[in-house]
This record gives sequence, C-alpha cells and structure tokens, in this order.
Amino acid sequence: MKLCEFIRPANLAEARDRLRELGQRGMALAGGTALHFMQAPEPVTAVDITRLGLSYIRPEGESFVIGATTPIADIQRYRAPRWAMHEVCRRISTHQIRNVSTIGGNICRVFPWADVPVVLLAMNARMVTYSGKEQEIGADDFFASQPAQRFRDGELLTAVKVPNLRMHHGFGSVKVGRNAAAFSLVTVASVLELENNNIKAARVAAGSAIPFPRRLLDVEAALVGREATAAVFQEAATKAKAAANWRGREGMSADYIQHLAEVSLIDALERAATFARTRDA
Amino acid sequence: MTHHAPTVSFTLNGEAKTFVTEPDEKLLALLRREGYRGTKYGCGQGTCGACTVMLDGRAVYACILYAQQVEGREVRTIENVGTLDEPSEFQTELINAGAVQCGYCIPGMVMSATALMENEPTYDDEIAREYMDGNLCRCTGYEKIWVALRKVLDRREAAAAAGQKPDAHPHR
Ligand SMILES: Cc1cc2nc3c(=O)[nH]c(=O)nc-3n(C[C@H](O)[C@H](O)[C@H](O)COP(=O)(O)OP(=O)(O)OC[C@H]3O[C@@H](n4cnc5c(N)ncnc54)[C@H](O)[C@@H]3O)c2cc1C
Ligand code: FES
Ligand code: FES
Repeated sequence: MKLCEFIRPANLAEARDRLRELGQRGMALAGGTALHFMQAPEPVTAVDITRLGLSYIRPEGESFVIGATTPIADIQRYRAPRWAMHEVCRRISTHQIRNVSTIGGNICRVFPWADVPVVLLAMNARMVTYSGKEQEIGADDFFASQPAQRFRDGELLTAVKVPNLRMHHGFGSVKVGRNAAAFSLVTVASVLELENNNIKAARVAAGSAIPFPRRLLDVEAALVGREATAAVFQEAATKAKAAANWRGREGMSADYIQHLAEVSLIDALERAATFARTRDA
Repeated sequence: MTHHAPTVSFTLNGEAKTFVTEPDEKLLALLRREGYRGTKYGCGQGTCGACTVMLDGRAVYACILYAQQVEGREVRTIENVGTLDEPSEFQTELINAGAVQCGYCIPGMVMSATALMENEPTYDDEIAREYMDGNLCRCTGYEKIWVALRKVLDRREAAAAAGQKPDAHPHR
C-alpha cells in the first residue's frame, strides 16, 4: 500500500481522532506486514498505533488480556498455567514475521489464511475496542463479518481477552500447511469441557479452507452430551462436510481439503480432551 | 505549499543517524542507498530472509518494514556483526563448512543466528530451528549451514557449562 504520510499519535484518543478525520485516506498501522501487501486506489496516511502502550499480556480476573499491538512472537513465548495461545502462534509464518506482526493486525482485517481468529472463536474470546470509550464484543459477533468494516470510522481494537481454561476445559488446535512457514490449508481449533469424560460443552472453529473463519455448529452439536472417545470425535468430524463450504486450494480438490479438515478436527479434539484430562493444575 | 521530505532518526549499528526518507520508503531501500549493502533484497515480500536485520535486538525483515517504523529504535545490520577482515565466529564456520555458494542468503542467516545467540540462554535444536525458520537458501542446501551453526552453538554451550560467560560479540 502506498503511503503519502506517516504519523505517530501521542495517545489513543489522538489516534482515533486522526483516523476519523482521514476516513478512507487513513489507515491504522501496527506491524505493517499486511499493509505492505494491501492495495488502495490512492496513497494513504499511516497512523502508527504501536507506541500507545498496547503491547502487553497480563492475567486479569478470569482472562488473559493481550494488548492489540502485542507481537505474535510475544504471545508464542508467553507461558502461564493453562495458557494455550502459544500453540497456534508458533505456527504462524516465520520468526521474523512473528516478531513484527501483531494480534490486532491479524484479526482486525481478516484475510482468508488468518489463524488467530479460528483460535479466538474456539476460545470464546472478547475483543475490546475504543471509540472515545471502551466496548467489549464477543468473538461470535466480532467475526460474524469482516471486522475491518467496524474500524472504518477511527475505532481501534485495544485488547483481546482470552478466557482462562478452567479445570476440565481443554484446548487443541491443528494447522496444516505445505511447510512450516506456509499459509494454512486448514486451521481448526476446539475447546472441550469434560465432566467424567462426558462432553459438557464444545466450541469448534475452522478457517483457511473456507471463505471466512467460523464455528462448526453441527460438529459441536454432535459432541455435546456424548462421551469423549475417538469414535465420537470421528463421527462428529463427519459433520464438517455440511457445516461449511470447503474450498479446493493449491491444486487440491475441495473433497481432499474437506477430508483434511475432518482428520485435523479429530486430532484437535483428541488434543483438547487430553488437555482437559491431564492439565488440571 | 513547500514539501519537506520527512526524516527518520534511529540508532544504526550503535551510531545515532538521521536520514531523509519518504513515508513510503522501506527500511531495506534506505539502508542500501545509504551504503549498507550487506543487507540483501531477495523476494521483497517477507518470505526469504535475505533482508534480515535486527530491530531492538529482534530479527525482522527490512523489506516489508516502512523506514518510519524504526524511528527512535535500534537497528543492527550485518556490517556490525562481521566484516571481510574480521568475520564473526559463525561466518568463519560457514566458510570452513563450505556452506557458502552464491552467498546471497548468508547475511540474513548470520543476522538470525546472531539474534538467537544474543537472546537465548541455551540453544537446543528446536529453538535454533525456530530462529532460522525465516531464512531460505537456494543453493547450498541447509545441511552445511546447519552444521556450521551447530558447531558455534555447541561451542558456546560448552563454554557456558564450563562457567565461562560467552561473549555476545566475540569478534569485536
Ligand atoms: C509472509 C507472510 C506470511 C504470513 N503467514 C501467516 C500465517 O501463516 N497465518 C496467519 O494467521 N497470518 C499470516 N500472515 C499474516 C500476518 O500475521 C499479518 O500480516 C499480520 O497479522 C498483520 O499484522 P500487522 O500487525 O502487521 O498488521 P498491519 O499490517 O499493521 O495491519 C493490518 C490491518 O489491520 C488494521 N489494524 C491493525 N491493528 C489494528 C487495531 N488495533 N485496530 C484497528 N485496526 C487495526 C490495519 O489498519 C490494517 O488494515 C503472514 C504475513 C506475511 C507477510
Ligand atoms: S527480501 Fe525481505 S524477506 Fe525476502
Ligand atoms: S548460498 Fe546461495 S542462496 Fe544460500
């Protein structure tokens, strides 16, 4: 994307005001790794939001709060009991990209290959936005359509709240790509709540192989109330076919990608169940 | 209205510098036109690693970073890590291993390895691979580069185990 000006606002309110004034002629810049590839009819003014104190990770009440401009590498490196966000962040692109690209950049304008939205949908995360005052939006609403629409009027994402995985809750994700640094062919993530090995609640999401990241409600329905066994996971994964519109990619047929999604789902569910059973610390 | 080209000020290889730049200019373009040509242009889209520099101690791709993003920050390039007369330890091992063919990828490889050695307390294969995962080589293949790197890392780990504090900048 061509830039005609580069500004560094002193605080969040100023960033919002400048972006609002600029409208289509302005663009928030975090890591800038997506901006580099984006097209605009006219050059835009970049509004640097990386110097506003929004890079942090901290436990707060029932959640981990991740500042919007926290680099993916910091999320990957962070460790705390029952923290699971590092798993998918390790699988995003390369070391150098992870050092620069931010969680906000990954989810405020969702590209088809974005991995983080899939995880946040499964985790039932809440997004904190600022437009004069702060507002919280649940993942289902935030990712119901392209979030970039929401940010057109100078609004900014300030943080992401990822709920703590409580006792008997487990997380599992799988990203399949051609090689370690490649964009995803299929990314799936799940959170399971177990009670005596019965599935009390399930959230399952997918991305990359479908037009936009989303939850797989039919798969979830096939899990809840059942025992957490390999057979149940396999049966639930077959519901993925009807749950989403799987697309062929990179010379692979839609059928193949859908099969890949099913296999990945079984794997992610197994991981989530293992997490729920064994990581009760 | 007179148009004043904006400037960007940052610490480059330990020295405070100010450069005239355009809002749109990438850090890689600025470095190369200012004579820091050790940093290479490969793909220009954040996939090959030839343009790797260190920003505040972390390896980043200079080809997709707007120069304005480094205002007030610290940038290190290959020129600060080793020279022809005074190659770094890893550069010497790369030569010894015959790991350099065209050499285009090497400055980037060395910058990623420097980030690894300066940021991590220990260097198992997993962490070393993680730091090197964003650097491609199109001719040598990775085996010899890996052998050279492992030699340096093993030597440093052995020194640390023997109670010697490894020097972060052994060549300078
Ligand atoms: C080579 C390469 C490989 C990649 N591979 C993967 C991959 O495998 N998986 C994956 O998930 N991603 C991948 N990415 C995408 C990468 O993670 C994104 O480029 C990144 O997440 C964007 O983050 P950024 O901080 O650089 O955002 P920017 O480029 O700065 O911004 C992106 C968009 O989000 C908006 N924005 C940013 N922050 C905010 C905010 N706080 N509030 C409102 N709007 C905001 C910007 O205005 C812009 O429209 C890859 C990128 C590259 C370059
Ligand atoms: S030139 Fe920057 S990554 Fe290839
Ligand atoms: S030696 Fe030629 S690209 Fe690595």
